[in-house]
Amino acid sequence: MSLAHVTAKRLAPALERQWLLGAARFIVLICVCVVMTVLTRSDEYGLVFLNLNNLLNIVRNASILIIIGVGQTITLTAKDVDLSVGSVLSLTSVVAAIMLNRYGIPFPVAIFTALLIGALLGLINGLLITQVGLPPFIATYGTLWVLFGFAYLILQGAVIYGFPAGFRVIGNGTLLGIPMPIIVMAAVFGLGYFLLYHTTLGRRFFATGANIETARMSGIKVERVIVLAYVISGFLSALAGLVLIAFTNGAEARIGDRYLLPVMAIVVMGGTSLAGGQGNLLGTLVAALIMAVIHNGMNILAVPAIWQSLVVGLLIIASVLADQWLRRRA
Amino acid sequence: MRTNGAALLLRVPSAAWVILLMMTVFTAINSRYLTLDNLVNIVLQNAVLLILSLGATLVILSEGIDLSLGSVLTLSGVTCVLAMKSLMASGASNGLAMAAGVLVGLLTGTLMGLVTGALVSLGNMPSFIASLGMMGVGGALALVLADSTAIYIDNPVFSFIGERLDKSIDGPLLQYLSMPAFIAAAVFGVVWVILYHTPFGRYIIAIGGNESGARLSGINTVSAKWMIYVAAAVLASISGITLAARLEAADSIVGVGWEFDAIAASILGGTSFAKGKGGIGGTVLGVLVIGVTRNGLNVIGVPSLWQPALTGTIIILAIVFEIIHSRWKEGRR
Repeated sequence: MSLAHVTAKRLAPALERQWLLGAARFIVLICVCVVMTVLTRSDEYGLVFLNLNNLLNIVRNASILIIIGVGQTITLTAKDVDLSVGSVLSLTSVVAAIMLNRYGIPFPVAIFTALLIGALLGLINGLLITQVGLPPFIATYGTLWVLFGFAYLILQGAVIYGFPAGFRVIGNGTLLGIPMPIIVMAAVFGLGYFLLYHTTLGRRFFATGANIETARMSGIKVERVIVLAYVISGFLSALAGLVLIAFTNGAEARIGDRYLLPVMAIVVMGGTSLAGGQGNLLGTLVAALIMAVIHNGMNILAVPAIWQSLVVGLLIIASVLADQWLRRRA
Repeated sequence: MRTNGAALLLRVPSAAWVILLMMTVFTAINSRYLTLDNLVNIVLQNAVLLILSLGATLVILSEGIDLSLGSVLTLSGVTCVLAMKSLMASGASNGLAMAAGVLVGLLTGTLMGLVTGALVSLGNMPSFIASLGMMGVGGALALVLADSTAIYIDNPVFSFIGERLDKSIDGPLLQYLSMPAFIAAAVFGVVWVILYHTPFGRYIIAIGGNESGARLSGINTVSAKWMIYVAAAVLASISGITLAARLEAADSIVGVGWEFDAIAASILGGTSFAKGKGGIGGTVLGVLVIGVTRNGLNVIGVPSLWQPALTGTIIILAIVFEIIHSRWKEGRR
């Protein structure tokens, strides 16, 4: 028997478990959908949940989470974490909003600037971690507050409404009947999937996260890999922000605040381990759909918004515990 | 001569240099900055942050992090004031209501700490994610209990623990003393004794230095780690109660972001995630860096819109300076 055969045989049970774990997530998604369908049914309106508009709405809401989540999954694969995603989203969308609304700058320029700033903020995070030597959660938690301060300063505490129609297409438009946020998300997810699983750079993210010393010794410039993960994360947070404000037609300094907890929740729920070296992009996607279904159901059931962050907090804790329990058994 | 200068630069903690620099700049801009009144004010304003930061330091010393401390601060203030209010409504005396309220607040902190600590120690979860989840849970509970507003409380006995002494007692020099400062000093003393003169304190430092080494040498690292998070949460609830007394109200979002100040203060004070280095003495300096900055920006009249961005940037720069400073120090050894 060749070495490849032996390895394949050894790996088979592990792969089967992986597959089961992945399937488990789909089953949870289906269960959540069924529960929400039953809970939200009413005599007057019937099965509100299964309404096509409601389903599209759910996927559109999940899209913002997924766009940010792809960046976070890549960062966590390299065993780092980006807690500043929400603030990067706020700051970049505030900048774009000001450019569009106050200065009438053409929207391609505004989009380009916002994305560039997002990538630059990721670069700063990456440099604080690799060059200054701050632990990732300190550096990014610090930038979280600093960037919020700047978003607040730029907007002067105001709320901006109304963007040009051309810009709003990326949030509000449709292509072949599919809302644009879903199209953007699909493109980001496809590119992210290709990058993470089918390129050398993708393998470097895994190698760096699995064991940074081994990766370094095998010639990978790990600092550069980590910085790149943060640049991607910053860029995608900015993109998510643009799609979000194009859809809602408004921006304010705290617009991104509510995304940090859900994004961490979906990435961990998706099976990307905090221990590094195990990015599961498809899991992130499914988990984001689960999260969006739960949020949507709570909205239909008129659960106050404050209870929702309680649920998200509990979901994070529960999914990390489940992840660890499964790993210990595996 | 030059080597002496360099040695002095390194021997004095980085936070002290930052404080010196800030105070010079602020005094140059506005001479009213360096008055006894204002310095007393800085102490009063930052006593609460010091108590919270001591908890953050304990956690960081053990190579963990607790992002839920701000939520615990908020939640404890809310439960304390709610309990006090309902007792006063049912006719209890101010003193009794206050005692019960403080007890409820401390219990709230203990419970939150027990959960976070259990997740980290028994559940083996990375501390930042466990505490991030608890940040969501605690923040939401506070909003629900307080109905998303501030609850005002009119209890002179309770207010006393949050104000300057001259407000309720007559006597010389009392305008320079305040209860929050006393509480912070007492808490500092207790934490000092626990950290440096009890087995538990040695366990904290041992876990931070080398966790598996500590376990192999017979320390029950699971229960020690658990207790670290309980201790930090109890300290957070003491700061939450003191803050509620100072504001005469429990606000449902008052603690948002405080955990960042507390963590920043610990790191500015030289506590680092690597090998259990640092201690609570440095944390006092770290708190002063933040307090002096906040107060100074106010006194020299920086518009409030600019303050979050400026304070954040100064704190990050000071942290970068502290890290470089400690690297130079390592290099010279």
